[in-house]
Amino acid sequence: MSVFLLQLINGLVQGGIYALIAVGYTMVYGIIQLINFAHGEIFMLGAYFALILVTATPLPFWAAVLLSMVFCAVLGMLIDYIAYRPLRNAPRLSALITAIGVSLTLLNLARMLWSSRQRTFPDDSKPAIFQSKIDLETGEVFNAIPLPDGAILPYTDIFIILLAVVLMFALNRLVHLTKIGKAMRACAQNPVAANLMGIKTNQVISVTFAIGSALGAVAGVMVGLREAIMPTMGYHKGIAAFAAAVLGGIGNITGAMLGGIIIGLAEAFGGGYISGGYKLAFAYVIMIVVILIRPSGLFGKSTAQRA
Amino acid sequence: MKNKLTPQNIILILIVCFVPLLLFGIDLLARLLFDNFGFDLPIPGASSILRILALTGLYVLLAVGLNIVCGYTGLLDLGYVGFYLVGGYTVGLLMTRFGISYWIALPLAVLNGAFWGLLRGVPTLRLTGDYFAIVTFGFAELLYQIVKNEEWLIGNVNGMVNDIPRASIFGIELDQNLYHYYHILILIALVVFVSYRLQHSRVGRAWVAIREDEQAAESMGINVSRYKSLAFAVSAAIGALGGAFFTQLQSNLAVEVFEFWESILILCMVVLGGMGNIRGAIIGGVIIGSLGEVLRIVLGFNPQLADARFLIFGVILILLMRYRPDGLVFRKT
Repeated sequence: MSVFLLQLINGLVQGGIYALIAVGYTMVYGIIQLINFAHGEIFMLGAYFALILVTATPLPFWAAVLLSMVFCAVLGMLIDYIAYRPLRNAPRLSALITAIGVSLTLLNLARMLWSSRQRTFPDDSKPAIFQSKIDLETGEVFNAIPLPDGAILPYTDIFIILLAVVLMFALNRLVHLTKIGKAMRACAQNPVAANLMGIKTNQVISVTFAIGSALGAVAGVMVGLREAIMPTMGYHKGIAAFAAAVLGGIGNITGAMLGGIIIGLAEAFGGGYISGGYKLAFAYVIMIVVILIRPSGLFGKSTAQRA
Repeated sequence: MKNKLTPQNIILILIVCFVPLLLFGIDLLARLLFDNFGFDLPIPGASSILRILALTGLYVLLAVGLNIVCGYTGLLDLGYVGFYLVGGYTVGLLMTRFGISYWIALPLAVLNGAFWGLLRGVPTLRLTGDYFAIVTFGFAELLYQIVKNEEWLIGNVNGMVNDIPRASIFGIELDQNLYHYYHILILIALVVFVSYRLQHSRVGRAWVAIREDEQAAESMGINVSRYKSLAFAVSAAIGALGGAFFTQLQSNLAVEVFEFWESILILCMVVLGGMGNIRGAIIGGVIIGSLGEVLRIVLGFNPQLADARFLIFGVILILLMRYRPDGLVFRKT
């Protein structure tokens, strides 16, 4: 029972993180039909940037997270401006190869700058609620909820789930209630018509990249708090998040959120009950099966052919 | 390419065939000169240069194979390394487990590669663009995970297969870099011949028609599914051939060789030379395949250098797509 509960929580936390990354993929794809492979690397750089800020400067943790979000938003817009915008009217294959090129460049830049070593946030830099521990002698639990069988539920996990829910809700409101959200939806429906109605398409695309990247940065910090920060984290989590976006129907923000949760749970339960070695493979299998059987995803409208 | 046997081409072929002689000649001469004066040779010996050339040749082979799917049918294959893996492990396991001769294991590996190409190809027939790319990527990653995790299949952790025997011909064991060089040269000649004949046949024209407009091709009476499947099978078979040769070059296998980035490396070669162009794929393979090795010798071994190499490849991909989407070497024919 306790194992089940732990895996459930683990899956929900992972799912929340995947959802945060997946909306970045799905929003960009919804408007310019490009799989932004570099999104995983932006997520990774967000984690590194926050880590550098808390270790090298006296900034408090939360300020570092906010700055890291700003940094990633700017980085996302910059990537769009430098690499993708000149190829807006080029064949789709060119843009896709460019995206792979950006991803490769950023990943190896990170490897060169910070080596492949795993890093974590130092304990004294983290706010108190993220420092959960258990006193082995007294059995007293700090910053965590004790569970039966001696397991604990750290506040970090609860915080991540809550944060993901809040951010997702905020994003949903942003897309549906604000002017920029309306412009984004218009561009996703038909960029040319949107442009004719006076919407500056390129600006909207920049904003989309910025929002997706900022959410990616938050997810990066969360992974850094819970697991470890390393250059390849963007690649592994990025693929799982992309699978989540595909599962929910690419281009569909609500779908990406639910897809993230499903992928997270599938990894946790599959890894826990079937085989730990194949933990990464579950996302791939789900992704392939969804693309082959129902390319529009669970929640997407079925389109004739998504070329 | 009307007159295939022009004097230039004959001279080129002769030079390629006699590179080892040239290298050993230089080596001998340099040794005679330098040894007498007690210098250390500033250049690596002929044998290690031949090894680099053989490795480069392997990449050329893979680039020519990937070019069939990426270039002719215009589908982005991000999982080519999967077939390379299939070929490598087919030969590795057949030779170490069952003691089968390399010359029997080689065609079996090629067939196995074609089988996996079809297995992956048939479900993805109706996919295009991004979705095809994603499925190919996922497929290669799954193969990687299986080899990494299934110890009963491979017999060792992390897909290690050690001490793969060398092939021998007329009682001569092919364990010298010189032999590897000619080995890959013959394989390349074979693959280039097949690829060239296919390109200039009914099949090749059908592929290009599918690339340019699938629906138009279908309405002209081209059986799109059949020709696409053929492209997948041939391309995969060539990938497996590359894997088979790799077992001879290295004599052991580890799953790390077959990581995702290797697919991108091969893709980079095809893109550099210009997709859909055999000469381009060959030259792209030579440039990128040798670049890493040359850098390693010039700058000395350094783990950061491997990262720098991939960083450069990433930048190459971005710049090429921006300024020369048809490749640096040749215009698309």
